[in-house]
Amino acid sequence: MNESDNDRQIEVEDELAAEELDPSDFALLNSLRATYEERDPVPDGLAERIQFHVTLDALNTEVATLTQLDMAAAGARSATTEAVRTITFTSDSLTTMVTLTPLEDGTVRVDGWAAPGAGIRIELLLADGPHNTYADEDGRFVFEAVPCGLAKFALYVPHDSELSTVLSPAIEL
Amino acid sequence: MPDQVVLNRCCMSGGTVEDSLATRAGHLFSEYRNGDQAKMADLVRVLTPILWHTARSARLDSATAEDVLQTVWLTLVRKSDTITEPLAVLQWLVVSTKREAWRVARNQLRFRPEDPEFSTSEASKSESIEDTVLRDESDNRLWRHIEQLPERCRTLLRVIAFADRPDYAELAKALGMPQGSIGPTRGRCLAKLRIALAHDPTWEHR
Repeated sequence: MNESDNDRQIEVEDELAAEELDPSDFALLNSLRATYEERDPVPDGLAERIQFHVTLDALNTEVATLTQLDMAAAGARSATTEAVRTITFTSDSLTTMVTLTPLEDGTVRVDGWAAPGAGIRIELLLADGPHNTYADEDGRFVFEAVPCGLAKFALYVPHDSELSTVLSPAIEL
Repeated sequence: MPDQVVLNRCCMSGGTVEDSLATRAGHLFSEYRNGDQAKMADLVRVLTPILWHTARSARLDSATAEDVLQTVWLTLVRKSDTITEPLAVLQWLVVSTKREAWRVARNQLRFRPEDPEFSTSEASKSESIEDTVLRDESDNRLWRHIEQLPERCRTLLRVIAFADRPDYAELAKALGMPQGSIGPTRGRCLAKLRIALAHDPTWEHR
């Protein structure tokens, strides 16, 4: 490109740049958006993961860590897939142990014990929505028949005058 | 952050309020600050696409871009009371995402060509034959022309494409582009892209 072509090109660009946005600009921006959505889509579940972390942060939530995962009588009953599992998770304010028993109808019975957990509310967060129960005076609680799948426990512990939340890691029921 | 902007100004025309991403975001954030906690989830859902593309235009990999967004949103929630102009929350988030993305990108790479013109020409020189073949096969003419734009233009148009018309000028400002980069006039970046497309006989004008 020689110098005068170059000048001409800059002139054309200047003129175009100074015009008001018109419908073909908006059409072009729509095509750009579609192109980026196709080439670099927002990862699945990203908004949900952000919402989750933001909510945890806002609730001043403790995240419990898995401390023990036992397959009950794993040696003796290794032939059966109906194994009962016991899972323990711990955070600063409490320790929770849950026993998961698969039932014949495909659901799972959850027997739990939180210490110290007298009377606290326990929420089982499942894909189909939350299930709620309260612990008895010894901190024991039961969910009779819940669907299989990934789940989290949220335990609401009185802390001064407020409730703080203890959240378990995701557990496969 | 540059001086705060009164967002509504851009959206009033002939007495009607033109809906835009920035005004929707601003209202959600105001309601959140007034105690409606559920509005934060809506705000995250509405703004994740534009912030994703803001972070990714700093050439971060997917996992790092996600970390950047998590950091920015947590900062917003923790500082939510100190944000002086809740209606300008979109600009706040775009500025914060851009800064955090570049901060992380600088830490990741020792060498990064800072001059966008230079990096564009270097990229086209070093492009492998396979890349060229793949690109031609994909037959995505628009993509080819986007890639030829200076980096600052690619970033601007990429972010703008996820917003609404009344937001363009403020978003350009949030991205550090000079006034007039886009809206109400077309600006240089879109002009460059239109000239390139006009010279491409294979591009069908719609």
